[in-house]
Amino acid sequence: MMRNRSTTFLGLLLATSMVLAACAAPAPTPTPVPTQPPAEPTKAPEQQAQPTEVPPTATPEPTPTSRPPRTGGWLDAITMVKISPDAVLTQLQAEEIDIYASTLGRAEQFKAAQDARLGYTQNFGGAYELTFNPYGGGANGALFDQSTGKLNPFAVPAIREAMNMLVDRDYIVQEIYGGLASPKFFPITGAFPDYARLADVARELEAKYAYNETKADEIITAEMEKLGATKVDGKWTYNGEPVTLIFIIRNDGDGTRKLIGDYVSAQLEKIGFTVDRQYKTSSEASPIWIRGNPADGLWHLYTGGWLTTAVDRDQGDNFLSYYTKDGQPLPLWQAYKPTEEFYQLAQALNNNNFSTLEERRELFAKALRLAMEDSVRVWLVDQKAFSPYRPDVSVTGDLAGGIQGSQLQAFTLRFADREGGDLKYAMSDLLVEPWNPVAGSNWVFDTAPKRFINDYGLIADPFTGLAWPQRVESASVEVKEGLPVGKTLDWVDFKFAAEIKVPADAFIDWDAEKQVFITVGEKFPEGLTANRKSTVTYPKDFFQKTKWHDGSNFSVGDFMMLWIMTFDRAKEASKIYDKSAVASFETFAKDFKGFRIVSTDPFVVEYYSDAFALDAELNVFDNWPEYGYGNGAWHMIAIGNLAEENGELAYSAAKADEKKIEWMSFIDGPSLEILKKYLDQAAAEKYVPYAPTLSQYITLEEAAARYQNLADWYAKQGHFWIGTGPYYLDKVFSVEKTLTLKHNPDFQDPADKWARFAEAKIAQVEVDGEGRVTIGKEASFDVLVTFKDQPYPAAEIQEVKYLLFDANNALVATGVAEATGDGQYAVKLDADVTGKLTEGSNKLEVVVTSKLVSVPTFASFQFVTVK
Amino acid sequence: MAQVTLSSGIQTYQKKSAANTLSRLLRYSAVRLVTLFLTVVVGVYLTILIANMGGYVDEILRGEIRENISASVFQNPAYRSYDVEEKKKLAESLIAQEEERLGLNQPFLIRSLSFLKNALTLNFGRALNMTSDSGSRQVSLILLERLPPTLVLFGTSNLLLFFSSVLLALTLSRHYGSWADKLIVALSPTSAAPPWFYGIFLILIFAAWLRVLPFGGMVSAPPPTNPLEYAMDLLVHMILPASALFLSSIFLSIYNWRTFFLIYSSEDYVEMAKAKGLSPRDIERRYILRPTLPTIVTSFALLVISLWTGAIITETVFNWPGLGRTLYRAIGLFDTPVIVASTIIFAYLLAITVFILDFIYALLDPRVKIGSAQ
Repeated sequence: MMRNRSTTFLGLLLATSMVLAACAAPAPTPTPVPTQPPAEPTKAPEQQAQPTEVPPTATPEPTPTSRPPRTGGWLDAITMVKISPDAVLTQLQAEEIDIYASTLGRAEQFKAAQDARLGYTQNFGGAYELTFNPYGGGANGALFDQSTGKLNPFAVPAIREAMNMLVDRDYIVQEIYGGLASPKFFPITGAFPDYARLADVARELEAKYAYNETKADEIITAEMEKLGATKVDGKWTYNGEPVTLIFIIRNDGDGTRKLIGDYVSAQLEKIGFTVDRQYKTSSEASPIWIRGNPADGLWHLYTGGWLTTAVDRDQGDNFLSYYTKDGQPLPLWQAYKPTEEFYQLAQALNNNNFSTLEERRELFAKALRLAMEDSVRVWLVDQKAFSPYRPDVSVTGDLAGGIQGSQLQAFTLRFADREGGDLKYAMSDLLVEPWNPVAGSNWVFDTAPKRFINDYGLIADPFTGLAWPQRVESASVEVKEGLPVGKTLDWVDFKFAAEIKVPADAFIDWDAEKQVFITVGEKFPEGLTANRKSTVTYPKDFFQKTKWHDGSNFSVGDFMMLWIMTFDRAKEASKIYDKSAVASFETFAKDFKGFRIVSTDPFVVEYYSDAFALDAELNVFDNWPEYGYGNGAWHMIAIGNLAEENGELAYSAAKADEKKIEWMSFIDGPSLEILKKYLDQAAAEKYVPYAPTLSQYITLEEAAARYQNLADWYAKQGHFWIGTGPYYLDKVFSVEKTLTLKHNPDFQDPADKWARFAEAKIAQVEVDGEGRVTIGKEASFDVLVTFKDQPYPAAEIQEVKYLLFDANNALVATGVAEATGDGQYAVKLDADVTGKLTEGSNKLEVVVTSKLVSVPTFASFQFVTVK
Repeated sequence: MAQVTLSSGIQTYQKKSAANTLSRLLRYSAVRLVTLFLTVVVGVYLTILIANMGGYVDEILRGEIRENISASVFQNPAYRSYDVEEKKKLAESLIAQEEERLGLNQPFLIRSLSFLKNALTLNFGRALNMTSDSGSRQVSLILLERLPPTLVLFGTSNLLLFFSSVLLALTLSRHYGSWADKLIVALSPTSAAPPWFYGIFLILIFAAWLRVLPFGGMVSAPPPTNPLEYAMDLLVHMILPASALFLSSIFLSIYNWRTFFLIYSSEDYVEMAKAKGLSPRDIERRYILRPTLPTIVTSFALLVISLWTGAIITETVFNWPGLGRTLYRAIGLFDTPVIVASTIIFAYLLAITVFILDFIYALLDPRVKIGSAQ
């Protein structure tokens, strides 16, 4: 009996414990606490309620009145969620989510999205290529480590060069990527500005290296025979052994590299090589191809892949990176042996060692040709990924970063047919690592929500990579004469100067012990010059109109805190010294020549540096308090610093690991209690951080008000993350991988400020003209450039170039088309030019580049020449 | 006097007997605990060796660090103006920092013993690369944050599965050969399909097509703030994954238990009880369930501790934040502290369960005597 009871009791105990364990408490959500009005009260948006006549109906209904234009974001709320990429299309169709901001890349997914009539943006980010092992030794210069006696045909540049013609890039684009890619021949991205600038050179080379299996076979056969190889029964042999190419083919990722590998293997087998296909994942392949000694002969070629996450307006460094030993200090790169001419060119383009943009163009054109001749990599495709959304959603995607990488998405994401509404925004991951502005999560999934919370001094053009002013009112740039810098947009004043002197009262360094800036006059009494000077001016009413989400007005202290933090973390004498911050600081300090606050009302700041970009717009330094991992208000940073000074939290993962403390998070986890403790302490002391410097800019009253605002914010929202952007972070649910953003009513700009960027204005081009041209006589062709069936304004067109190819696909002439009106251009071929053509079918190709989008548009026209 | 002597003799005998029993129990417990501890030590150390491929993971990590840092320095536009030697110097210093952070500056053998010591003392320390959902590097938080969602889903579905299959099996064993019995036998091969397979179909039917249940996740987005609404929302989100787990195992489980009960139902002593005219309820309780109880309890106990492991693919299909996916990610990132912590907890749970079960057997079955040679 006793045992029965014991058994029953035990059973009940186990069952109860299971049930209790199963009753998991929901993630604690902070109870909303009535907040006190902020010290500097926030002005609610004015509701211009107009008196209206009472309608003659029994039921009074609100009458549409003229509402003030909406400010800030278009949406009332955004809920961000994590979902599996495999479920995206189903969930969009079921209206479970409204937009998927990460990217999809499979052809069948693209087709399904189109069939379901979903909207989408496309972006270029991934590039795929064949990486060759170019090591060659021995008597013929093409043997691996001589003990193996194995032949490496890819030690011969001509064979690598011929590989360009052995692969059919169009086949790869259509059959492997289902159209979600474009052929790629060069180490620059087809959608980025450098390609557009050199489109005529590129097209000529693309024609030269177009798919031609017969020609490739001929070249390779000739070179193989020179090496002493012979073909036996259609198979290449060397010293009586088959020439076996070890091909490391990646089989992870989206699976397309495996298909590329199989296709290229088949092409190589077709011309007589034996291919040993070794399918490997990244971690299996890396020790062999990238870290192994190329001389060991463990591989011949590899399916390489590279990623770009932002529109890069200067890809001149890619030649040095991809083709020379200076590219990376890894064994494979040390085996690269470019010609001296190519190496010099690569260095010149990397170091901006030229005087004008025209000179750069010439160097670049030569480098493209030499890269094709060198071909330690044969580039195959630029992948186009896509991000789908429901048909009633509208958004701006970045050409490189897609939707989740676009700064403008915060300002353009909306329901197309209405203002407001709650939108569900999905990504493939979310809340990956701790958020702190100084050295927190850098995952794109964490950066995407921050883009809605942040505001900017300058904002990146998603289609060209140039900068536009957001909070900055005006800017001017001076660059030392002889440096290759040009200007595209009108908003920035730009000029060259014979010499740029840095004023003696500009700050150039930081004394971490005394907590004061060191001036140029103190550090360089002999004077200092710089290559570049940037001056930005913020609006007069900037500090009155710009508020942090906790209600605190933006102040000069926010700007100055950024400067102090830039130096302080890298100084050993600092209380928050972090050795992991030293490397990036030294990079900055190498070119930094000083900054100077010219005026605090309005806020005007000068910035001096030796570093410069090719575009004047990208040489403007906005001084916006963006710390690299998010915007930061000075009072947020102050409590973070207190926590780090006292050894309880660390901004960087490296320091947190070293000190065995928590990596600071302003949104969740054990950090919050610690930050709250220091917030209370700071509030009690009216703490002004770095008082010897910041007390000039921050009053005790401002300090007290800010800490009170942040305390109220924390009580209400349960986190410390604030920004000044069009949405604020409402709630964070870490385990559930969800967060909510809400419309910021204090945001000052109209919602449609960036509406012109809702869609990339990619030109459509048609060429028309005589189908039959007499050799030796003038001929003319019309070029029609439109966007959505409307003429493309001439002012927005950078250039319309033409290339004339003869019946043998050889380039005969290039030139610039003549503008005859908006969207109308004429190509005139004079008698001398047509005289160079032979009888047959010729091709006139037109390349249109726009000032608004870096993607060039191509169109061609076939015509027949007769005598 | 004689009575007193006899009584005293009995008392002495009882005392001696109790002392012997206690001594036997203690000896048995000590030996058993030591054996189990040694098993745990060996099991955990083997896990450490396997998770690190006998130290080869160090080479992989070193290679990855070198590759990633080289790329981040040499392909970073910020360092474009540096000459090659400057870049190399910078990269080498960053590589050394990272190797030190991950402890790669120590030989693997020493680190493996340190991992073992920390594991056995339940000092889980910090993860190498992973962070918890709330952003902490503490291994205990990484695991604990995922424990409630794991228990709530797998606990519910497995308890439901266990009790319903035992009860239904018992009923079927009484109706051997009935249409229901034949139906279960016919359906039992359906358990060959894993839960995620059912999950995909359930999602397609109830979420994508009928749109009556959510696709996945633990709660709606945004989650309700009211605790009661949160609980209801959680229940709604559990329906599909719990159903998938339930459906994938129920028929085979019933079939197994039903066969098990049938074997016991045909024992001679059951036939004897029937011949005596005992009621079917008494026969079931005293003659069938009683001797099968140790097996049922064992099965139940092992089920309870198996909840710790979660289910990787099912969690992925339903986007459920469980421990299975955490462990899977840790393996992919070679995050040894997380792998070891997960293993040691399971190992300790298993050892404790095995130890306790010995005593439970003795309580349930009078034939079992703890520490006896027989």
